[in-house]
Amino acid sequence: MNPLEKLAEQMKSDWDRRVGHDYRFWMGEGHFDDARMWKTGGDDFAAIAEGIAGGSSCVALEIGCGVGRMIKAAAERFGRVVGIDVSRLAIDKAREFIGPTPKVDLVVGSGVDLSPVESHSVDFVWSYGSLACMPVPVIANYLAEMKRVLKPSGIARVQIYLGQEMLVHERDTLHLRSFTPENFVKGAVLAGFESRVCSERCIGEDTAGTLGLKNCVVQLVPNSRPSTTAEEIAKALLPNGESHAAQEVNPAALEAWMALNYAEALADNGEAQRAKEAVEYVVANCQSATIDTQDILSRVLSKATKGIADEVASQGIPYPSQEAMYADNLAVLRERFPSAYARVVTPLDKDASDIVVRGTQDGAAIFAGSLCLDHAEKPRAAGEAWVRRSILEQRIKNAQEVVVVGFGAGYHLESMIEISGKRVSCCEPNLTVFQRALRVRDLRPVLSTLTHLAVGEETLTFALAEGSELLVRPQTAALHPEYVERAQSLCYSKRGFTDLHPKIAVLGPFHGGTLPTATYTYQALQRMGQRVRGIDMSGFNDGFMLLEQFVKNEARHGAMRGHYVDLVSQVLLESFHEKPIDILICMAQAPISAKALTELRSRGVITVLWFAEDYLRFTYWREMAKYYDFVFTIQKGECIERIKAAGAAEVHYLPMACDPYFHAPLRLSQEDKERWGSPFSFVGAGYHNRVQTFASLANYPFKIWGSEWPSGKPFDRLVQEESRRIKPEEYIKIFNATDVNLNLHSSSERDGIDPSGDFVNPRTFELAASGAFQLCDNRQLLPELLEVGTEVVTFSSREEMIEKMEYYLARPEERKQICERARARVMRDHSYDRRMEQMLSTIYASKYEMLRQRESASPWGDMIRRAANDPELKERCQRAMMRGEEPALDGLIADIVTGKGKLSETEQKLLFMHHVKSQIIRIRSEESGARK
Amino acid sequence: MKKRYPTKNRVLLVNITRLGDMLQATPTIAGIKAENPGCHISVLVEKQFEEVCRVIPNIDEIIGIDLNYVVKNLAREKDGVNDAYEYVTTVVDELRAKNFDYCLNMSSSAYTALLLSLIGIERNGGWTADDEGYRVIQTDWARLFATSVFHQNRQYNSLNLVDVFRASADVDTHPRHLLINVEPEARSHCQRLIDEAGFTNSGPLIAVQAGASQGKRQWSPVRFVRMIKILTERHNARVVLTGAGKESAIIDPIVEGCASPNVVSVAGKTTVPQIAAMLSLSDVLVTGDTGPMHISVAVGTPVVSMFLASAFGFETGPYSEGNIVLQPVLGCAPCNPNKPCSKPECHDMITPELVAHLAIARVAGEVREVSPELADPRGVIVYRSEFDSFGFCDLVPINGVSNDPFIRYRKAYRKLWLDDIGGFSLEASRRPSQLNVVGEDLRGLSEVTQCAERGQGLMDTLSTYVRDAGITAGQLKQINEEISELDRLIEELGLTHAPLGALTRMFVFSKENLQGSDPLDLASQMKGIYQDLERRCQKFAAYYAGI
Repeated sequence: MNPLEKLAEQMKSDWDRRVGHDYRFWMGEGHFDDARMWKTGGDDFAAIAEGIAGGSSCVALEIGCGVGRMIKAAAERFGRVVGIDVSRLAIDKAREFIGPTPKVDLVVGSGVDLSPVESHSVDFVWSYGSLACMPVPVIANYLAEMKRVLKPSGIARVQIYLGQEMLVHERDTLHLRSFTPENFVKGAVLAGFESRVCSERCIGEDTAGTLGLKNCVVQLVPNSRPSTTAEEIAKALLPNGESHAAQEVNPAALEAWMALNYAEALADNGEAQRAKEAVEYVVANCQSATIDTQDILSRVLSKATKGIADEVASQGIPYPSQEAMYADNLAVLRERFPSAYARVVTPLDKDASDIVVRGTQDGAAIFAGSLCLDHAEKPRAAGEAWVRRSILEQRIKNAQEVVVVGFGAGYHLESMIEISGKRVSCCEPNLTVFQRALRVRDLRPVLSTLTHLAVGEETLTFALAEGSELLVRPQTAALHPEYVERAQSLCYSKRGFTDLHPKIAVLGPFHGGTLPTATYTYQALQRMGQRVRGIDMSGFNDGFMLLEQFVKNEARHGAMRGHYVDLVSQVLLESFHEKPIDILICMAQAPISAKALTELRSRGVITVLWFAEDYLRFTYWREMAKYYDFVFTIQKGECIERIKAAGAAEVHYLPMACDPYFHAPLRLSQEDKERWGSPFSFVGAGYHNRVQTFASLANYPFKIWGSEWPSGKPFDRLVQEESRRIKPEEYIKIFNATDVNLNLHSSSERDGIDPSGDFVNPRTFELAASGAFQLCDNRQLLPELLEVGTEVVTFSSREEMIEKMEYYLARPEERKQICERARARVMRDHSYDRRMEQMLSTIYASKYEMLRQRESASPWGDMIRRAANDPELKERCQRAMMRGEEPALDGLIADIVTGKGKLSETEQKLLFMHHVKSQIIRIRSEESGARK
Repeated sequence: MKKRYPTKNRVLLVNITRLGDMLQATPTIAGIKAENPGCHISVLVEKQFEEVCRVIPNIDEIIGIDLNYVVKNLAREKDGVNDAYEYVTTVVDELRAKNFDYCLNMSSSAYTALLLSLIGIERNGGWTADDEGYRVIQTDWARLFATSVFHQNRQYNSLNLVDVFRASADVDTHPRHLLINVEPEARSHCQRLIDEAGFTNSGPLIAVQAGASQGKRQWSPVRFVRMIKILTERHNARVVLTGAGKESAIIDPIVEGCASPNVVSVAGKTTVPQIAAMLSLSDVLVTGDTGPMHISVAVGTPVVSMFLASAFGFETGPYSEGNIVLQPVLGCAPCNPNKPCSKPECHDMITPELVAHLAIARVAGEVREVSPELADPRGVIVYRSEFDSFGFCDLVPINGVSNDPFIRYRKAYRKLWLDDIGGFSLEASRRPSQLNVVGEDLRGLSEVTQCAERGQGLMDTLSTYVRDAGITAGQLKQINEEISELDRLIEELGLTHAPLGALTRMFVFSKENLQGSDPLDLASQMKGIYQDLERRCQKFAAYYAGI
């Protein structure tokens, strides 16, 4: 089988599979119903064939006609229409739709050529939504074939994507191919077409736009030159060829993603059965998907099952409980799992009437409201099917123990014990569910065999041993998300630190308060030995600020800032393309667009925002939250709820912190003490409430440092060094040189001290870490971070502040003790190192498996696996990966130094390869230079 | 001739990337065979040249290494590196298993040196690397090779690299021309091409290789057209344009520009054996410094060759007797091969009329003289290739006296190397030192000589220190600093005084090849290197004065 035939086989099998699943989605532009499919088919044909005359003697041909979506419309304009497609199932469906008519021929093609079509017999060839998914050698062959079948007076129009080239695996039949306009013109010329890229008509807005591509219809008019070979055309279209790397772009990931989104849309639309089929399709066909589809899967399952369960619940009969069986089950439970027994027999205080049991053909099934925890019709078969699918997962295959989260009525546990041959444990968050199960099924065999059992919302009593893997029932994930999150966190967050080596980028803002925070975050990750890359965007700040000078109108200025951020985002995307990352941590105000975040997520990057802002004052989270997998906030309660509601996948509280290596006690010179010192000081910007509060301190030995303070009295005397911005290294000097530092959180609206202020600013931790004494305004979240009275002294009113200022100024020894305790506390609990541990723990808890798979499928993962038999090479790969090198030879040899002792054989071989590469590249460039 | 490794049994010749290089090795291969009857010669070449190398005589085994496979896999990222690495491991293992006892690698590339270090062949005529990755060149001739191709020194060299290569392999007996097998089928195929070409002229068959390996060496198609028109229109010549398919951008305009039935192109239509056959049927080849030039010489067809831009006739000129070499005279010629040139004025120094004249003259017979009116030696020197009495190829100017400022240096160096590292008996070598009479031309030479003397003294002192157990660390440090300073000064003198570059470069290469770690032995080796430098300075001065 030649390479082209192999590609044809791939296309055939892929498209038959997809059409077999749901032609409307895969070939009908994603419509739920046929009527809509015909409508858009007609519209799209009108667009692509605009200005083409047609006529009863004219023949039109569609390449990749699918189920004939556009054929009907074409048959109205042309005497004869030929539709060709590689999928037999699609053509069968198209024939069924269109019925026998002499006007239309529907042909199953080879997938790579137009062999059934005679030369110079067609007036109009078109292709829509089809060429772009084909491997480039196939596209090239079709271009040559178009030339062959077209009459000299004929015209071809093809819908393709132009812009930057996308790296796609050569056997991928789903991701979009795209070409630079120049290369497409070259390819078309070689195929024998006058190849002006006609009209560059953009059809709709779609994902192409976010990738920097144009969705175009290109007109090709045959010229007198014959077509060259398909190989040459392919070379012209994509000079570097398509990717051969197995994991370069994983088509299964896209396929899974698309199908799951479709499933979700169907579920939303109330089409439970079709949604279920879509999910089953993913499970059956997209095993190698490495993107995290778990979220969507859970949502879809919960929606889909709800639909089905509603039906059953409305028809079913409540299942009678069997007291004798309950007693037997309890006896085994008491013997094997006494603590679970104790919980079960304790009377419940909550009303659990929503947990009901209903009969099925296999016996009892348990429902939580309308959500069935087993299967509403065939719980035994469904349980077994779930187990069989689950054990195909690599991590479950490798596990010694499977910890199933969700007991239900226990069908799946029976199957798991029987089929997996592994130790099986279970945790069930809902005590009532477990109690119901004990009453309706004979669970003695299961209870006798389980290794561990934990029941109840608060209880995850057993430690998860090494080699154990959590397997969460989707229904349980939907019902008890926080419990599942906690279980995952327990299991995976620690494991993540040893098993995972994600490449993390920390993206700072152009300017502002979170700029130093970005640096502290980056440095903390570095100290933790993470593979981290700090992205300093402050260099772009000058340009950003300059916009103001050119565009004064506020709306236009805003638009320009948006464009500027778009540009910078594009730069970031390119940079991440060159040096791929796994996790992007954006600090508040980080300049990255929604488009760029979407693109990164589609590449499998986990997006994180540390939103260190007052969510009530800075509200950009409303638009941006949905583009983040994780948002970490410095506020709790409503803040978290609202950001979740705005679409962030996960929102967690993560207060600010200090950098123990930067914020530290200083030994100051006399000169420094004089310049920076004072009995009382404040460092920070002149917000309304501060101005209002500090105005009354005019008679105190008080220095104010920072910008945006009023210039009039009394601030002309209080504010130091012309109200300039103070650098972080200067803060520390001020903190250390001051007897009593005031720390008043900002408010633009309130006078004085904000009684409802919740979050704690970085200054609180920085002062403590610097060993400086502070008087801090009362904050709701402060007491859980620093013990008030012993580690920090607070005030709730201006009067209290002044009183305490005087009190503590007079008591240096008392201050010293508080400072020491505060410093010890923040060193232990509130460093950026600690915060990053918390952040990564949270990420690992829910993304462990995704990151593990990604790492395993990453280039370094491949290289390390392949080097298993060569310990030195393997070790070099691991070292290079940990250094953050790119997964290529240059990264491997970066630490080999000639002349520093004997080179090992491995080093010599790697250097040999390096020099071969340089030499061959040089020779090639010389040769190409000679031809120019 | 002095020989370092006179006997060879299982020989590996490394000549990886270019056909021209392979052809230039043919006298060496033939010589090794002739001087070591029964020896087995393997050649390591890049996979794509494997087939082509079958036309090279005297080779017992061709080993192809697929560098493209390595590069392709490296570009693939991911586990492409592992594929490349595994391939390299296989190659190394296979080469080791062949138990070579001698290797000649005249490719100065770092990767061949590393490969040989990995294979671990003890006796080497050319480049290899030590186990720390440093370059090692064991023989003086190979060091001379490296010295001569160092750009600053090129103008001072008149030894054809074919001979330097040959001498590196201790080969004395050689055929005085390159070698290639002409296959009878290829010959009849080409004869058929000529018969069917539809020539209307009946005069000489002149082959023209218009394409060049670098853009700046490319004589323009317009000039070729003018030259060919003279040949076809005035001299009844038939012209065949040779070349590879990728050279069509140059060749097609020439064919179109000539628009003559007497000009045909076989570019892209002939294999290497067929190019050889076509050239064997031709009366003369007009060419630049190209692979076909070497093929032509190998099949015995004389060449008229233009050495443009970075090409230097003495270095890589046609290796047989009676060829014509045109070398432009220009401040920048030959230029640095690694630098681009946007205004190659050297192309203007050679006129189409002159080339056509020389081609026709060479068809008629040997050309031993060219009128300065036809070729002004101030603009272009026309050379004829000849062999000297020691069997080394040389170029002799035949268009009158030129003002070539390098001629005397070249002659002196030629004598120096033949005498000092070749061991050939030259009368002048027995003359006393002429240092005091050379004056301005050899500025800096007396300083280099003094440095060499001082170096010997320092080595004596160092040896004494090493033997004396009571030496302090401070003393050792001081003498080491003095030695470093002295060596730096020698190197700088070579760079400051260009005519001395070859002498000091040879010194640097020798120093790089100190072997072992015993301090006394190292001091003794180093003293020998200073002695070599001093002796060579004296001989060079003497030869220079004698010219």
